[in-house]
Amino acid sequence: MSRKHDLSATVLTNGPMSDGLFSGLPAHALRQLTGIYSAHHYPSGAVLFQEGEPASGIFLLCRGAVKLSVGSSHGDSLLLRSAGPGEILGLSATLTGQGHEVSAETTIPSHLVFIKRKDFLRYLREHTDVCLQVVESLSNDVHAAYERVRTLGLARIRHAHN
Amino acid sequence: MLSPYGLEIIESCLTCKLRADKIFCNLPPQSVQALEAIKYTTAYPKGAVLFVEGQAPRGVFILCRGRVKLSICSSDGKTLILKIAEAGEVLGLSASVSGKPYELTAETLDPCQVNFVKREDFLRFLREHNDVCLRVAEQLSEKYNTACHEIRSLGLSHSAAEKLAKLLLEWSMKNGGARQPDRMKLTLTHEEIAQMIGTSRETVTRLFADFKKRQLIQLKGSTLVIRNRAGLENLVSP
Repeated sequence: MSRKHDLSATVLTNGPMSDGLFSGLPAHALRQLTGIYSAHHYPSGAVLFQEGEPASGIFLLCRGAVKLSVGSSHGDSLLLRSAGPGEILGLSATLTGQGHEVSAETTIPSHLVFIKRKDFLRYLREHTDVCLQVVESLSNDVHAAYERVRTLGLARIRHAHN
Repeated sequence: MLSPYGLEIIESCLTCKLRADKIFCNLPPQSVQALEAIKYTTAYPKGAVLFVEGQAPRGVFILCRGRVKLSICSSDGKTLILKIAEAGEVLGLSASVSGKPYELTAETLDPCQVNFVKREDFLRFLREHNDVCLRVAEQLSEKYNTACHEIRSLGLSHSAAEKLAKLLLEWSMKNGGARQPDRMKLTLTHEEIAQMIGTSRETVTRLFADFKKRQLIQLKGSTLVIRNRAGLENLVSP
């Protein structure tokens, strides 16, 4: 459930997003961006995407908080982390075209910008500076995920040896 | 040219016959030419350590031939193997991009050919070649996917039997192109398999014996045959 807002491109280049994906973009790149995004407001508890679901595009979190989790078929769920303003969600699945690795759900009323996969991939091909930011953002995601693997995995091995 | 480790060294990326099949290397000619100018080709024997977790990132390692074990280690010496990387993968990527220390330790499992690219050269290469940047984003996405899969498996799998069954089924799926996908060569020791599924070596040995007894698998030397796929699948949560 979402309510579309009339939002200008300045949301993406000011405030929480100012250090992020679209910082320092030239005017023509910003104009192009305005044509491909849509802004939405979600209430608390809204599911943005679910694990396994094909990625339809990326979400940029402007305001609010989103929890990222993985689940099992038994219905158990493991919270990976909580994403805050300035973060990009659904990036890796959008790039690979595979299903989402995690589920994303808002934990408070949140303001997000959505860009369709096809539009985002075309935009990346045309703007190396944005592509570099994407690579950096993914590197941070990978680091955070490996850190979680370390905590979970080594605790499990210690338990197995005791 | 043959190296002392019995590897046929691929000197130039431009003439590499394997390039078309590899995710990262299959780049347009001008990008391959640029890569050619900044890479250092090296051959490593089995058991060589390319980088250690916690070390400041020196650059990326493009794996041309052989396999590399990626693991994390605790201060008390416990090891968890995250992945066995194969030719075409780029190692040390996220650390080199972010400037944070390597998160994993990379050790060769076979004699390997590696093309090393210094961090500053690699970052410049990315800035100047959009196609490479996209390829790197894809590789990082795959790595994120692997890490999430591992988190799910470690955090939510219920038993070591389930995890071993899952691992054997994954290997057999990778072996799908072979004439007999259910027959595979075990190239890892029980200790290493234990490190892959987060359990002890004794548990892996016990589980193999149990799977054999239940006729789920057959072991002849280092050859493993899946005899009852449905049985193994039953052990894994649907």
